[in-house]
Amino acid sequence: MNVYLLSLLVFSPLLGIVMVALMPKKEERTIKQFGFFGTLPPLFLSFFLCSQYYSGVALSLFDIKVNWIRFGNLEVYDPKLFTVNFELGLDGLSLIFILLTTIISSLAAIASIYIKQEWKGYYLLFLILEIGMLGVFTAENLILFFIFFEMTLIPAFFLIGRWGFLEREKASYSFLIYNGIGSAVLLVVILILFARTGTTNIAALTQMMTMGGVSLFAPISGSMKYGLCLAFLIAFAVKLPVFPFHSWMVRVHAEAPPSIVMIHAGVLLKIGAYGIIRFGMGIFPEQYKSLAFTVVLFGVLSFLYGAFLALVQTDFKLVLAYSSISHMGIVMMGLGALNEAGIQGAIFQVISHGLIAALLFFLVGVLYERTGTTMLPKLGGLAKSMPVFSGFMLACGMASLGLPGMSGFISEFMVFLGLFKSQPTLAAVGVIGLILTAVYILRAVMLMTFGKTNSLVEKEKWDLKGLEFVPALVLLGLIISVGVYPNLLGGPLQGTIEAMMLALGGR
Amino acid sequence: MMENAWLIPIFPLVTFLVLLLSGGRLRERGAYIGIICTLASFILSLLVLMERFKEPTYKITIDWLSIGGTQLKAGFEINQLNALMLVIVSLVSLLVQLYSKGYMKGEERFSTFYAYLGFFTFAMLGLVMAPNLLQLYFFWELVGVGSFLLIGFYYYKQEAKNAAKKAFIMTRIGDVGLLVGIILLFWGTGSFEYGEIFQAVQSGVISNEGLTLIAILIFIGAVGKSGQFPLHSWLPDAMEGPTPVSALIHAATMVAAGVYLVATMFPLFLASSAAMQVVAITGGFTAIFAASIALVQKDVKRVLAYSTVSQLGFMMLALGTAGYVAGVFHLMTHAFFKALLFLAAGSVIHAIHTQDIEKMGGLWGKLNWTGPLFLTGTLAISGFPLLSGFFSKDEILMAAWENGNYLLFALAVITSFLTAFYMFRLFFMIFTGESRSQVKQVKESPSIMLLPMLVLAFLAVISGYVQTPWFGTFLGEWLMEGNETLLGGNSHSEGPVWIMVMAVLVSLAGIFLAYMIYAKKKLPRSWLVQENNEFYRVLDNKYYIDEIYHFTVGYAIKGLSLFLSYIERFIVGGVVSTVTISIEGLGKIGSKLQTGQVQRYGMIAFLGLAVLLVIFAVTGGYLR
Amino acid sequence: MTGVPLSAYLVLALVLFCIGLYGALTKRNAVIVLISIELMLNAANINLVAFSKLGVTPSITGQVFSLFTITIAAAEAAVGLAILMSLYRNRKTVNVDEMDIMKH
Repeated sequence: MNVYLLSLLVFSPLLGIVMVALMPKKEERTIKQFGFFGTLPPLFLSFFLCSQYYSGVALSLFDIKVNWIRFGNLEVYDPKLFTVNFELGLDGLSLIFILLTTIISSLAAIASIYIKQEWKGYYLLFLILEIGMLGVFTAENLILFFIFFEMTLIPAFFLIGRWGFLEREKASYSFLIYNGIGSAVLLVVILILFARTGTTNIAALTQMMTMGGVSLFAPISGSMKYGLCLAFLIAFAVKLPVFPFHSWMVRVHAEAPPSIVMIHAGVLLKIGAYGIIRFGMGIFPEQYKSLAFTVVLFGVLSFLYGAFLALVQTDFKLVLAYSSISHMGIVMMGLGALNEAGIQGAIFQVISHGLIAALLFFLVGVLYERTGTTMLPKLGGLAKSMPVFSGFMLACGMASLGLPGMSGFISEFMVFLGLFKSQPTLAAVGVIGLILTAVYILRAVMLMTFGKTNSLVEKEKWDLKGLEFVPALVLLGLIISVGVYPNLLGGPLQGTIEAMMLALGGR
Repeated sequence: MMENAWLIPIFPLVTFLVLLLSGGRLRERGAYIGIICTLASFILSLLVLMERFKEPTYKITIDWLSIGGTQLKAGFEINQLNALMLVIVSLVSLLVQLYSKGYMKGEERFSTFYAYLGFFTFAMLGLVMAPNLLQLYFFWELVGVGSFLLIGFYYYKQEAKNAAKKAFIMTRIGDVGLLVGIILLFWGTGSFEYGEIFQAVQSGVISNEGLTLIAILIFIGAVGKSGQFPLHSWLPDAMEGPTPVSALIHAATMVAAGVYLVATMFPLFLASSAAMQVVAITGGFTAIFAASIALVQKDVKRVLAYSTVSQLGFMMLALGTAGYVAGVFHLMTHAFFKALLFLAAGSVIHAIHTQDIEKMGGLWGKLNWTGPLFLTGTLAISGFPLLSGFFSKDEILMAAWENGNYLLFALAVITSFLTAFYMFRLFFMIFTGESRSQVKQVKESPSIMLLPMLVLAFLAVISGYVQTPWFGTFLGEWLMEGNETLLGGNSHSEGPVWIMVMAVLVSLAGIFLAYMIYAKKKLPRSWLVQENNEFYRVLDNKYYIDEIYHFTVGYAIKGLSLFLSYIERFIVGGVVSTVTISIEGLGKIGSKLQTGQVQRYGMIAFLGLAVLLVIFAVTGGYLR
Repeated sequence: MTGVPLSAYLVLALVLFCIGLYGALTKRNAVIVLISIELMLNAANINLVAFSKLGVTPSITGQVFSLFTITIAAAEAAVGLAILMSLYRNRKTVNVDEMDIMKH
């Protein structure tokens, strides 16, 4: 049972896909229900995995490995060479990402009640997207990773282009093109590594590159490693995104349907961070170390650039989009700090921003549903007509600007703690961003909820109701519990981070 | 009892959660929940204080966050300063909540108000109980949010909205300084725990410059929270919040947190004389600076706000001149008399529905309780002999003198003269002369509002006697107990007797001058300075600080943002569109070659094959 | 028994193929293009048969394959001519230069 659990987890959305596919097109209610139920099996399976972990079961027990494809005829040397296996595995880091994925997917499925047309296609793509995301975080080799990675791109492309706002098609094209370029770079790196070493297994590659194990064929020279590491970083920096590769993400945030942005900002962007940690840092620690300054530099640039631009936006969705860029800058800063505090902070920031962005975009969805606009000048005084909504908005804004007691603080604190140790100058520059974040978040949130009530938005019974409380409460609850007791999240990460620090060569 | 002290902040948190989840359905009954919970906190704090008199410091922590091998802790600690602060905070909060029941009557979001008060009280109590710097920072920001929520309570008012935003952002600037200071201190000493930090500091692991930098960064946090120059301007604006809030947050508790922070980190500051200088000078300058603005303000709450800024400057001055006991002492007495003054001012506002002192006057006979209560507070803050303010201010002057910085001493003396003058100006403008009010029927406030004021007035009179030159220096000795080496030793500042005499004379002179101008009207109001005078206008506009910020920092940030958004649109966007255009062009060229002539395609394919064959023939099949 | 050497067959096939290729790539008339393609196929057939008789390991497989090829060539010619007929009906021409509707 144990061995098949992970495959079951990854492919469990198929159940929902079959159910939705069998429904007639017009059955809106049933399709939506089935679509939501389709996200429950992975959710429960991931909870089960998590409970197993906390009851002390080693995560490596869940690994599965099945021979899949073999290239060439090299058994004489080593039967493992040039084979691609279907192998899934888990460690603390991926467990946390899996949880994030399943939780946010289920909540986004609830938030999809606002989808107005073609529910069937929507939920089919939605569930395929979930398979892709789960696969990305469990894949144990690069080829499998790449396949699942591409599997997230295509559904997301259609989901944005079909169900988004006015300029959705443009947004979905730029999403596809940027990410396509990113994955092209990724594919080249993966193929070079495969051709040179004969394996794509992440653990094997990590060992080969860090422990100085020799590959059978052409050994990889130092400068080659350097280039490969850089290529990994660029491929994932596009995904994250980091200034100056960010413009696709702004469009996607502004034009995609809010429930998809919940997934996009909540999970898809995080694949970038995951990739940098696993591949950039994991496989090439030596080279990564020498690139760390650049990583931090671009982190600080993104952090400040996003913050400054968020300050002048008039569309709330754009404020959030630039704030995402800014917060991803913090991730880069943490990853470049090269110490435990920084890396742990970066991972925390990834999770924390996933939760916060999901909640914010859920609220954006509610807001758009009620008022038909997200333009700040047209809003105002929502605290009167929608007090509970405004409360959530304010709480979420506070979480986003790093208020203690919420998850954002823990991550920002750790990132700066780490960064002040390794790059004090850049850290001191970055600190300005903390103030700017407060300024732009308060500006946006207060323009919406405070002030005089705008006649456009004055209606009774607009507040959150019924099912809408579920995503809001669950996400806020998670944000606060991580903020109040961070060891909740810190525990599973310890092993991964220790291994990484070992490879990076001590503190 | 002390091991149960963690319950103290939990009670107000319960208020917050219950009232929030009830969603306003409880209406004014919410007040009972708030009052009962805070009463429980107060009683518990009082018991803890009693026990602390007998027993040593209690501290308990649990692992909170592990970073690699380092365990960050959370928990609580009860030492002398904490125990004292717990009582002050829970008491003032309790009194303010009682008072608010009358003051906020009829308010639509009544229970929300109590929820926010509960949240603030929770955060403030958590702040004073924190056993380490990280936890202190944690609650430090939370009190900021409590203050933000309460300032912006009237969310539909533009001024309240702006004031709340300003308060949050300006204190945030300070907070960032504090955060950086904490982080640097952590890397210097390897810990966030007070005890370990002080030990490390005394063993000299951090260089002198490093210490000064860290101490100043931490002080920046205190500057932001306590409204010291140059981050003071949010505090007067914060008066847009309901008056009980001003009494609780912006007079007695939160703004004193900065002073509390410096007091808590006192051994660190002691280790760096430069940092002490900075604290003392900032404090001294703020004291006289804010007092001078208070001279001409016409809004009763603003006068009190600037007076608060000035008094906080006083406390900083005391700490900066090594007067640890003096600073903490004044913190305590100020909490009582300033809360009293705000509540009394609130009572006046409640009665005649204006905050403009030009529209008041002649209320002495009409507000039979509020008048004397206000007078008590005014006398206490002015340093009138035998009231609490007299003793604590005296202690500060002594400390400044003993420290040997005569310029700061002179500043302090002038400030106390100004304080007496503007406070009595306020008093006489409100309570004497003929009525200038629109409201004919002036009604005294209900007893639920008067009771808290009476308690505060009582405390404002007697709380000075815990530390006097005549009946012993109980407070100082208790605070110093066990910490002599860390805190620099002296439980009482000694100075020549003439200082006390002079302080009294200066106060009385201020009172007399105010009396001549505003009560007796022997001297015209333009006696000192004309209303349209340049100097007056500068004071009236608070030295144009807000305008300066607006035109420098505000415009710089906005300009930079716009500049960057042009970069975003034209440079980043331009690069992107250049790439797409060039790819599109390439595609167009390719499609030109696509003539649809099958034979041409065949020809090209054939030529390609031929080329490949040639290459194959030449290289023998291996590309090298 | 010395018959015709293998190289002669191959040269014949080469010549035939080249003629076919030339015709397929240059002639305007689609019928001639089709005929040229037949020529190329037959050149390949000659090769197959020649190798099956005179190759290193002679076997009948080559001849069998040439039969396949002839069949396919016939089918191809039939389909090609059918397309050509319908094209002619529609466009009134068998000139390949004018058949460029697959242009970009």
